[in-house]
Amino acid sequence: MKLILSDRPLHFPVLTDDTRYFDLSALKIANCVGCFGCWTKTPGRCVIRDDATRIYPCIAASDTLLYVSRLCYGSYDVLMKTMLERAIPVQQAFIRIHCRETHHEQRAVVPKKATIIVYADTEIEEEERQIFRQLVIRNAYNMNFESFEILFTTESQVNSLAKEIVTQWERF
Amino acid sequence: MGKILILNGSPRAPKSNSKRYAEIFMRYSSGEVVYQNITRKNHQELCAALNGYTDLLLVFPLYADALPVGMLQFLKVLEANPPQRKPVISILINCGFLEYEQNKVAMQMMELFCRRNGYRLGARLMLGSGEAILDTPFRFIAVRSIRKLARSVAQGTCQTYCATMPLPKKIFQWAANRYWTNYGKRFGMTKKQMQTPDIES
Repeated sequence: MKLILSDRPLHFPVLTDDTRYFDLSALKIANCVGCFGCWTKTPGRCVIRDDATRIYPCIAASDTLLYVSRLCYGSYDVLMKTMLERAIPVQQAFIRIHCRETHHEQRAVVPKKATIIVYADTEIEEEERQIFRQLVIRNAYNMNFESFEILFTTESQVNSLAKEIVTQWERF
Repeated sequence: MGKILILNGSPRAPKSNSKRYAEIFMRYSSGEVVYQNITRKNHQELCAALNGYTDLLLVFPLYADALPVGMLQFLKVLEANPPQRKPVISILINCGFLEYEQNKVAMQMMELFCRRNGYRLGARLMLGSGEAILDTPFRFIAVRSIRKLARSVAQGTCQTYCATMPLPKKIFQWAANRYWTNYGKRFGMTKKQMQTPDIES
């Protein structure tokens, strides 16, 4: 499965049957409350029954994904960050040693090739790019990215860049 | 004497470890210290209140490798509503993993925020094993590092501290997994049930 998760509406000509697309700005997703219910009470299921419960199973099942997010202080902005925090049910409470660090065990999470488009209104300064790169390196451990590519762009270029990525998927 | 506002950015602030860390900080602070949770609805109120403080201590856990989204939302409101007199911002980040280094990216995000918005950066503390350390014989390590943080905030120095449990990773893994197994038992869950690979099914 391929997954496109965006914090703004994107327009694609036609997506293949195995591609799922979610526009987070059109969905209702509450903040994680840190209750650990998805680890200890209802393992693999979040207790907050909103739109996030349709998305994190797709995050787990996808082998190719595209995240599109505004950049905020070197982080994903609020909409994408909210969703990523709500994806914690794909992990277990239990700890593993992975790449010489302690991390959470994963449930059935398929290894992924990730492309991340981050955008801003203006040119993104190098310090902020560097922080975001470090963030994605850390995400790769916890979100099972086997490879990733980060593309920095401006808001006006987001849609065309996203289309380009998805066209490349379809070519292969 | 300075006046310090502690803001807890944990999503489960009233029951959080961040609250316990803030309480330890208050015990070792000599000046006036006020504690508040960041909630979804009090961002504007907190921004206005900042005018009365010389120092702001932000205490929060690492969430998905970065700032918890509630903290991110608060920072955006603070950026749009800066106080007239900007306090010095000190930071305490804790993560549940053994390696305090896993907090570095979140700390860099805070540093970027401070630089962009003209806040002087104060003292910083990165804690590893922050979910557990206060309830282990290594509690003194966390307390000692928070005491140093409190002293640095009081003296206006910009020291950076870090601390974690002095355990081999394998032992930490064993202890953490025992902790979570017992946690699940409270809800009638076995370890095997908690290890299910199934997601939403």
